[in-house]
Amino acid sequence: MNTVYTETILDHYAHPRNWGRLAAPDIVADTDDPSCGDQVHLELSLDAEGRVAQVAFEGEGCMISMASASLFTERVMGKRLEELEALTEEEVLNWLDAPIPPTRRRCALSPLTALRAGLAAYRRAFAGG
Amino acid sequence: MFDVARIRADFPALSCPVRGKSLVFLDSAASSQKPFPVLEAMERIYRQCYANVHRGIYAFSEEATLAYENARERVASFIHAPRREEIVFTRNTTEAINLVAYSWGRTNIRPGDRILLTQMEHHSNIVPWQLLAQEKGAELVYLPITDDGLLRMDLLDSLLDERVKLVAITMMSNVLGTINPVKEIVRKARAMGAVVLVDAAQSVPHMPVDVQDLDCDFLAFSGHKMCGPTGIGVLYGKASLLEAMPPFLGGGDMIRRVEWDSATWNDLPWKFEAGTPAFVEAIGLGAAVDYLSGIGMEKIAAHEREVTAYAMERLSALEGLTVIGPPAHQRGGVVAFTFRRIHPHDVAHMLDMEGIAVRAGHHCAQPLHRRLGLTATVRASFYIYNSPDEVDRLAQALEHIGQMLG
Repeated sequence: MNTVYTETILDHYAHPRNWGRLAAPDIVADTDDPSCGDQVHLELSLDAEGRVAQVAFEGEGCMISMASASLFTERVMGKRLEELEALTEEEVLNWLDAPIPPTRRRCALSPLTALRAGLAAYRRAFAGG
Repeated sequence: MFDVARIRADFPALSCPVRGKSLVFLDSAASSQKPFPVLEAMERIYRQCYANVHRGIYAFSEEATLAYENARERVASFIHAPRREEIVFTRNTTEAINLVAYSWGRTNIRPGDRILLTQMEHHSNIVPWQLLAQEKGAELVYLPITDDGLLRMDLLDSLLDERVKLVAITMMSNVLGTINPVKEIVRKARAMGAVVLVDAAQSVPHMPVDVQDLDCDFLAFSGHKMCGPTGIGVLYGKASLLEAMPPFLGGGDMIRRVEWDSATWNDLPWKFEAGTPAFVEAIGLGAAVDYLSGIGMEKIAAHEREVTAYAMERLSALEGLTVIGPPAHQRGGVVAFTFRRIHPHDVAHMLDMEGIAVRAGHHCAQPLHRRLGLTATVRASFYIYNSPDEVDRLAQALEHIGQMLG
């Protein structure tokens, strides 16, 4: 069977980490891909130094998007805002540690897509306020 | 006796191993594989007599032009069009529908008019009409479907009033597989004075289609779903309508005379074929038509009914598998399904690792999926080269996936 469906991916899909919502998130992000129905809702709160103190997600979608979002929440913990903004697609794909084919990149990158939308909104609010 | 093994030998791609396994290709509703005669017909032009059509005063151009116009005649007779000038070559079904929406639609649709579609249309038979309706202040009306994917024919009469100027319907759904009673719909629509366009992308490749029997005004289909190449499609239109319509695209080949400020149009069908046409592809489509006719469309339809009925039976027996759409006797060779709660992309991906090619997603029918309460489905579709053995491979692979994921 396909090596994309590694134990890590199957495990994160079956037991998503940081599932749920935060009481007072600073950054709220959503993606909704109508082409496959992958939905990721991501929430982050920052501490006084601007590091990710809490993170949570909810969503619905394929195994790769959900497992990637779960892994993502573990990896972004403690990162500074600037580090979040500098996150690349390759880094997120590396976290998955599975041979993601081109046809599934979009699934694997759905938490990053959500984060980027959330960061843009956060910056806009920050600049405006 | 339908000899699948002999047919498969005509399709070189089918014997290419995939992921170290023999290929089970179950995505012909998206695009079919190509047989040797089609590949050879196109290669012959490129190798032996390639030159632009219609105006070259030399042997190559003459030969290419003859082959191009000859392909048109074969396509005309394949769908029983009375006249070859009623066959307009387009890029695909989508472009054929857009041609009608832009040319006929923008001349004939007025504010308050209605365009009647069905809930099972492909995006290509929805979006061009949305653009037209928005521009003209017209209204789109959808004939509903039942939960098992049949048209609510009991509602047709009440929706078909004098405001309906156009009815655009698919002959066979690319998701549900439903074969619609197009002839009856055409009769009722025409009685109300409406023009009827038939999206035949899924029907012309798989069953006999006779435009005179249907009596539709327009019929659109694509070459690449019927063993032909990509980049070539067909719009059939009744000559009386096509003659009255303004051109779609302007440019070379579609004109008779050009002045600084004006131009006059070429005869049918060239009035609608601006620029150098995809003539090599049209010649390939002509070869595809010959290939399919050589097997016989009745036989092809019967073979696909048999494989589809077997697939319905095998797949429905799997635990947690739900086939959407009507029973086998009311559908063509398309079986879309959901499997447990596994996302269709994951199912397709895992099947691919077994060398089985299916499609997963909304199959360009998002409104239909929403109507069914689904985001996406897995779709297996069958053609002349598919066998019951391949249905077994699909069913076994699904069983295996089910076991693996508990």
